[in-house]
Amino acid sequence: MGGIWLRPESSDEVAEAVGDARRGERALEVRGGGTVLSRLGDAARPAPTEDADVLSVEALSGVVEHPAADLTVTVAAGTPIDELAAAVGEAGQESPIEPQLAGQDPLGSTVGGRLGTALASPRQLAAGRVRDWVLRVRYVTGEGRAAHAGGATVKDVTGYDLCRLLTGSWGTLAVLTEVTLKLRPIPPTRAWHRTTVPRSQWRAALHDPSAIIVDSEGTSVLLEGHPDDVAEQASSAQLAPSEPPTLPGGARAAVDPARTDDLVAELDALGCTWAAEPAIGLVHLDGDDAALAGARAAAERHGGRLLRLDPDPQTPTFGADPGPEPFAARLQHAFDPDAVLAPWRWSS
Amino acid sequence: MTTTASEPTLTGDERALLATIAGVLGDDGLRTAAYGRATYRRDASFLNAEPLAVAAPGAVEEAAQVLRACRDHGVPFTPRAAGTGLAGGATPVGEDRRPLVISTARMDRIVEIDVAGRRAYVEPGAVNLRLGQAAARHGLRFAPDPASQIAATLGGNVATNAGGIHVLTYGVMSQHVLAVDVLDTDGVRHTFDGTLPEQAGLDVRGLTVGNEGTFGLVVGAWLRLLPAPPHVATLLAGFGSLTDAADAVSAIVTSSRLPDAVELMDARAISLVEDYAHAGYPMDAEAVLLLEYEGLPAGVEAGIGQAEQLVTEHGASTVTRAADSAQRARIWKGRKAVAGAIAKVAPDYYLQDVVVPRSRLAEMLAEVLAIGEREDLTILNVLHAGDGNLHPFVLFDRREEGVLDRVLAAGHDIVAAALRLGGSLTGEHGVGVEKRDFLCDVFGEDGLEVQRRVRRAMDPTGLSNPHKILPTPAGCAESRSTMVPKGAWV
Repeated sequence: MGGIWLRPESSDEVAEAVGDARRGERALEVRGGGTVLSRLGDAARPAPTEDADVLSVEALSGVVEHPAADLTVTVAAGTPIDELAAAVGEAGQESPIEPQLAGQDPLGSTVGGRLGTALASPRQLAAGRVRDWVLRVRYVTGEGRAAHAGGATVKDVTGYDLCRLLTGSWGTLAVLTEVTLKLRPIPPTRAWHRTTVPRSQWRAALHDPSAIIVDSEGTSVLLEGHPDDVAEQASSAQLAPSEPPTLPGGARAAVDPARTDDLVAELDALGCTWAAEPAIGLVHLDGDDAALAGARAAAERHGGRLLRLDPDPQTPTFGADPGPEPFAARLQHAFDPDAVLAPWRWSS
Repeated sequence: MTTTASEPTLTGDERALLATIAGVLGDDGLRTAAYGRATYRRDASFLNAEPLAVAAPGAVEEAAQVLRACRDHGVPFTPRAAGTGLAGGATPVGEDRRPLVISTARMDRIVEIDVAGRRAYVEPGAVNLRLGQAAARHGLRFAPDPASQIAATLGGNVATNAGGIHVLTYGVMSQHVLAVDVLDTDGVRHTFDGTLPEQAGLDVRGLTVGNEGTFGLVVGAWLRLLPAPPHVATLLAGFGSLTDAADAVSAIVTSSRLPDAVELMDARAISLVEDYAHAGYPMDAEAVLLLEYEGLPAGVEAGIGQAEQLVTEHGASTVTRAADSAQRARIWKGRKAVAGAIAKVAPDYYLQDVVVPRSRLAEMLAEVLAIGEREDLTILNVLHAGDGNLHPFVLFDRREEGVLDRVLAAGHDIVAAALRLGGSLTGEHGVGVEKRDFLCDVFGEDGLEVQRRVRRAMDPTGLSNPHKILPTPAGCAESRSTMVPKGAWV
């Protein structure tokens, strides 16, 4: 029998759907906007298949609460990021979890999807990671237990930090149903700059830049803050105003930041087009199958991972393992003892 | 002091464990006599229990042997660093078996400062302030700065996911832990690495920060260092009422530039520390706000200018900007000296840690004052106001008949009020023993069951710091209003 689409409208319905799947020995793919899942090849089931139903959280949508004076927002997991940005933007606030540069293919279009993958955004350099902005999650485990972790305050160390554990768990362990995020004021100025001078000659002149993206021809730098500071920083590092960079979108390699330059040095010889964020350890790539296979091998040699964003189901796409053993396996069993949630996800 | 007749008899397993550890650590590394154990009965809370003995390994391999011995003999253990914890996390509570305290005091090195990589590798017993000082020599800083940083260790900071004064923009400890090395309860070393920017698998590192010693023993960590801010400005504002000060916090936090620190102290706290710190706190104020802005000059100046305007609009009677780094240091010295200065007016204090949404600060302060009046106790308030994090100090003298019951009742009511206002029962001190039974209400049965399973996944033996964080099912059924197990108070 073929799989089905499930579109629960509440946390209770999510729990019911997960319980049904468990009893029926069906596996579930949890889907937000599908922007990442649809490009994951054999590591995902973006549409129902013989062995999998799809649980879409798109009906769990909308801002639940935005107490602007608390600088927090609570949204249902399926809320589009654009809707979140518009809602908090009215109060002069932002959530720096946006996935990509404006004008590029989105990688994660819903809040739940962004948390699920926790792919790095260019502003991760100064803003920190997605997980550092998550204050509370409501979730349903693979066993059908509905619960929450964290709190709607900016600090909460009650119990184990499951907010961080579930952020970046790629749709395994639990279905996120609601998320509370920390917000911040929108910086008064935000401007991309460009230079062709090697960064070693100007990097020390910059304090806390928001993004640095290097490609084979130069470097793009995002500066945010007070207009006078942005102007002074750009001038002291001799950066010229520019358009945002365009990033290759075929694959993403993640390495220890200290190894980024070593990895990049190998990519030209492999025939890859690349753009690197050296301070956070991320390289955006394009290339043919052979080039990307070579890039994967190189990334893994440097202790990193490569994620192929490719609709071709024949190529392996996802290089990530579930984490340090035996703990990762035990945690999966703790949340999802019958392997209901995306059991095909991890490479090992 | 000699061992008295009331000394508990050791079981065969306990004797064998101690013999093994003595062989590994020698006399310097193991204390078994009552006198040697006495200072390890409690941390900076008032929770109190008798350890089996105290083992202080000097190296990872020694610690691994101690953990293996505990496993082999079925003896629980409680990790302990400086013992500055306030929730009983390092109190060796055991219901039928006394835990072995494993002290990290001899593993206290800052092993490496990688200036180019902006990170440091530290052992768990290294003191927080020492890392800050070592980083400063390279133009770097370590952001988490709990008020106890002069004594609190980085291992303890990892255990509790500590906060501090600069959490508002720099985030809690977890945000600054790149990787953590843990010995599991089999004595096997694991590195939970958070170095990759994405695609790193489950964030077991993040789960481990804040584990309160229940996942084995943290034996080292890579910590993130940040560039020292090029420009800093500090503002001191005195108010005629606590409510005005709390309202000013809301206005400042929602303005277009977020400060890097917003602290609030009430009149009692101010009068206690001014003699010591000479910070220039206004002695006639009911409350002071300490505000700090860091970063590039124009943003800092714009922020502090806006803050000056907002505190004035909210009725500040005095507004002083620190003229130089020496005055700034005095202002913060006063803030960090509150706990020590209390000794001048009361022999004992009980320090609470609750969080409310920032817009509820004034309401919560009113609740705290009312609770103090109801229980006839002096409470002074120090707040990480920008985070909505309150630290009421309940002052008392334990020799006073019946006072402990009133102190506990006040503590309970403070927590209950914070929860009622949509807050959290601990912001940075942890659950420990003190607050574990509140988790029944906070999480509900399903949420608690998930937490229990997580703990078993990380420590299937249950030997690592038992009776901490999670209530027993019986605890949920019986004692919802009990903050502390019977007999655990001094």
